[in-house]
Amino acid sequence: MMKIDFSGLDPSLPVKGNAEDLDDEILAAPSFKLPVTVDFDGFQKAAVQMVKPAKGTTTLAFIFKHGVMVAADSRASMGGYICKALLILNLYKINLYLAASQSVKKIIEINPYMLGTMAGGAADCQFWHRNLGIKCRLHELANKRRISVAGASKLLANILYSYRGMGLSVGTMIAGYDESGAGLYYVDSEGGRLKGTRFSVGSGSPYAYGVLDSGYSFDLSVEDAAELARRAIYHATFRDGASGGVASVYHVGPGGWKKLSGDDVGEMHYSYYPIEPTTVEQEMADVRIA
Amino acid sequence: MSIFEYNGSALVAMVGKNCFAIASDRRLGVQLQTIATDFQKIYRIHNKLFIGLAGLATDAQTLYQRLVFRNKLYHLREERDMKPETFASLVSAVLYEKRFGPYFCQPVIAGLGDDDKPFICTMDSIGAKELAKDFVVAGTASESLYGACESMFKPDMEAEELFETISQALISAVDRDCLSGWGGHVYLVTPTEVTERILKGRMD
Repeated sequence: MMKIDFSGLDPSLPVKGNAEDLDDEILAAPSFKLPVTVDFDGFQKAAVQMVKPAKGTTTLAFIFKHGVMVAADSRASMGGYICKALLILNLYKINLYLAASQSVKKIIEINPYMLGTMAGGAADCQFWHRNLGIKCRLHELANKRRISVAGASKLLANILYSYRGMGLSVGTMIAGYDESGAGLYYVDSEGGRLKGTRFSVGSGSPYAYGVLDSGYSFDLSVEDAAELARRAIYHATFRDGASGGVASVYHVGPGGWKKLSGDDVGEMHYSYYPIEPTTVEQEMADVRIA
Repeated sequence: MSIFEYNGSALVAMVGKNCFAIASDRRLGVQLQTIATDFQKIYRIHNKLFIGLAGLATDAQTLYQRLVFRNKLYHLREERDMKPETFASLVSAVLYEKRFGPYFCQPVIAGLGDDDKPFICTMDSIGAKELAKDFVVAGTASESLYGACESMFKPDMEAEELFETISQALISAVDRDCLSGWGGHVYLVTPTEVTERILKGRMD
């Protein structure tokens, strides 16, 4: 009797066992070596503190008639240097609010029809989004169909939950378009996963929500929705010190994502609020000598 | 978060040829939130003496009111304006009076002394004077300001060139600081006139 080979149905095992070493690395859950320290818990606490101030950003996404609109700023501000503090045992006066870069990509392209936004630790977001992209592609290859937005966000949420309490800092939104239409999920490093139609994440999010919530309607056209997203990011960069740089706006529609604009918020301010020439208050006048 | 970084500020003063310029940013914030974009940090003591106060905004306002009082009293008694060096010593004494409960301010003093010779100095929050011949900086953006001023400064600049230099240094430095910026305020002082200008900067 022929034994039916079911191994191909198992998505976590390779079909042929040739390139085993490489596959083991890719398919196994990422494992991390733990540091050898005298005080492991203290070191972890300090490491968590290092990443903490870095949720300085504004990202937002909302679902509307024509798909999902995703927007973000581009400023990255630096957290403190904990490694030096532990070794040398006195704290340098490090400027926690130095703007490290004005041009960080905060919207990450997971695959041609799904986007992820970055808030929190940049390294954490970049690594786990790329890891999610790998898992989504493997799902496609194993199941001969694209993964849904719900499925992708669940994969990420489960991974982040397993690292809960270890100091990852990730506040991301997964936006995409699949068979059931537009999908938007908020996923964070505490293990939370929320389905919704409007989200904003980061230190500038209260300001962005103010503009987004008052201008939102499901029936917006693509241009109006883009302008609303851009305006909300601009207002957040004006009020929040940790957001700034360039406001990027992406649209995810049935045909995949497309970058609509990347405008410098410094210039946007003067196009929304041009400078009125003020009257001169005090001017030197020539005195007539009698 | 340090108390000096609660409100956010950037101050710089530079010496030119028989003139000086003093510049500040315009932001008033509460940690990361911006409250105002037209906050005054440079005050005029008299036409040839200006003081800028970086650090905690409430202490800056209170300290300024104290110094105006002391200056007016001096003016009544001596019947003349205070020299900048004298004023710097006054500020230093007022700050050290509060040695064990200090004002959380860093002053930047700039003035024209005898023979209209420019004088600038800065102090820490308990009154240690730092005299300089070229430029002084203060505030949350001070490290960026040091770098910008060091590379852009030239000795003996004329008034207009000094204005350009100090404006460029201020704007490029505050663009790297989350807690200061949102425009600039520059006072350019020569023996004959005082020019006040507002700079257009990035509003993020």
